[in-house]
Amino acid sequence: MDKILRIDMGATDGPKYKTEPVGEYAGIGGRAMTSIIVAKEVHPLCHPLGGENKLIFSPGMLSGTAGAMTGRLSVGCKSPLTGTIKESNAGGQAAQVLARLGYAALILEGKPSGDDLYKIYINKDGVKIEVDNSLKLLDNYPLVARLREQYGDKVAYITIGSAGERKLLAASIACTDPQLRPTRHCGRGGVGAVMGAKGVKAIILDDAGMKMRPPKEPEKFRDANRKFVEGLRKHPVTGEALPAYGTNVLTNILNEAGGYPTYNFKQGQFSGSVNLSGEAQAELEVKRGGTATHGCHRGCVIQCSGIYNDKDGHYLTKQPEYETVWSHGGHCGIDDLDTVARLDFMDDNIGVDTIEMGVAIGLAMDAGIIPFGDREGAIRLMEEVGRGTPLGRILGCGAEITGKTYGVERVPVVKSQALPAYDPRAVQGIGVTYATTPQGADHTAGYAIATNILKCGGDVDPLKTEGQVELSRNLQIATAFIDSTGMCLFIAFAIMDQPDTFQALLDMMNAFYGLNMIGDDIVTLGKKVLSVERDFNKRAGFTAQHDRLPRFFSTETVPPHNITFNITDEELDQVFNW
Amino acid sequence: MQLDIRLFAGLKCNNPDLACFGQYAFNLEVPTGTTVGELRGILAIDPSIRLLTMVNHHHEGDDWVLEDNDRIGIFPPIGGG
Repeated sequence: MDKILRIDMGATDGPKYKTEPVGEYAGIGGRAMTSIIVAKEVHPLCHPLGGENKLIFSPGMLSGTAGAMTGRLSVGCKSPLTGTIKESNAGGQAAQVLARLGYAALILEGKPSGDDLYKIYINKDGVKIEVDNSLKLLDNYPLVARLREQYGDKVAYITIGSAGERKLLAASIACTDPQLRPTRHCGRGGVGAVMGAKGVKAIILDDAGMKMRPPKEPEKFRDANRKFVEGLRKHPVTGEALPAYGTNVLTNILNEAGGYPTYNFKQGQFSGSVNLSGEAQAELEVKRGGTATHGCHRGCVIQCSGIYNDKDGHYLTKQPEYETVWSHGGHCGIDDLDTVARLDFMDDNIGVDTIEMGVAIGLAMDAGIIPFGDREGAIRLMEEVGRGTPLGRILGCGAEITGKTYGVERVPVVKSQALPAYDPRAVQGIGVTYATTPQGADHTAGYAIATNILKCGGDVDPLKTEGQVELSRNLQIATAFIDSTGMCLFIAFAIMDQPDTFQALLDMMNAFYGLNMIGDDIVTLGKKVLSVERDFNKRAGFTAQHDRLPRFFSTETVPPHNITFNITDEELDQVFNW
Repeated sequence: MQLDIRLFAGLKCNNPDLACFGQYAFNLEVPTGTTVGELRGILAIDPSIRLLTMVNHHHEGDDWVLEDNDRIGIFPPIGGG
């Protein structure tokens, strides 16, 4: 990945591109690349939908290689939802293909003056940027079907649905999976709105004629990769639980732990949770001719995804993730997997963040627009988002705007981004991450659940304050590194518990790049990424006062533990004290 | 004493002498003073599986002494995000 592609969408006489050497950005990828570029090249006070913002697509440092698990694509910008720096990543095929085309980053700059819509085709011979207004307001599934008629099936598609074109703040960017379903989303932070503001509807990546990226030390790389895969296969989470049940295996344990946010964070348990569980979902999927084991990108050995068919055995959606089953399920008082699956399809199709949408709909329920538990009502609200009605636009701009529009007091957001599927009062460690990550309320940024609830990589009591700051800090640093490698974050379960698997990952990096990295180097890169992000946010006007949870988490207890979030402001301000 | 037991993610009662053999959600009568570790033995769960046990929504270790009407949730290693 020795070059960067810049496309100026606002150039006079139409979009222009140039390819340049990677230069000062050499040796990094993924989140490190997107955050360092945003911090350097984007004015922190710019309007996120304006021409000064940049939208950066970067494969990870190991993407496009023969290494396992390397299919993550990072997308970075100033977020229109949060106003902070944003890195949002997804699986699917795009990262592998973009990396094999030799691009360390694709940067969309500027903004076109008219309302033409563009598609961008990139192959080994160059770049074609064309107007195609026939694609206007197509949602992701019919959009990809239409593009396949022209570009075929041996490419990767990056698209936005109608939500991105409408610049809704919950708009996502979709990447196609190996079967060309637009189901892997860069969901958080409204990155789809930025792509829409730049007039780009689709990016088609074609690596025909290109090869896997070759390592500097091929035998060492192969050996390290083999050990890495062995480690993933032997760990019970990555080798058994995730392939069998997917991420929704978490529903039962979070409910049992009293940390499953229900009815807009009023309770920590949902009486209907057993109907929504990963176990129930897997059984249903298999019974209906789908599958509970599927990889979102080639090279995945964890295979945590799946296929969810309807009762007649026809494809309905990809296996809904835990976050989706929670946001559209328990959070809204809905205990029906088929309803959740329909909403999941709509999220993917319209192109919206499943977490932000589910929390927004729950807020609409709390406001009395429809009652909690109203399945068809939730579907109708999503249909409004898809049609871009005034109510649809309010919901599609996320939880905070929905809550404010309807005068709801309990609005679970940090830096304007909706909280995900873990109550911070029952899982204090994730509360530290929600409050302090530069990304806004984000669970993957420092997944304290692993150690608080799942007892992976150690054991920190979820209900006490001790150890949470250190836990979140260490996980945020490690995650910033993993997000830069192109590796799926779920490798963390294995590398946290198995030192030899962690060493195999280091050996892969070293063999590929001809380095001698040790564990401390991972910390150095992770800290650098976080420091760069925090600096951007500071210049964008964010202070320590923004590294806080909404006040109600500190004043309102949540059953069954009847506990508040008890980490003090002074403790939260220690997370980045290096 | 009576326990309200839930076994998750593929775990089941493996003791053919119990009425709950093969089930994953059941009530069970056990001797007073039974610990979490002893319950595992009663249910004949594979000893090689590292388990996570919650008693009344709290994580507890093998030495924890159970009480009448406790709600028990037992999990093998699981993860997600």
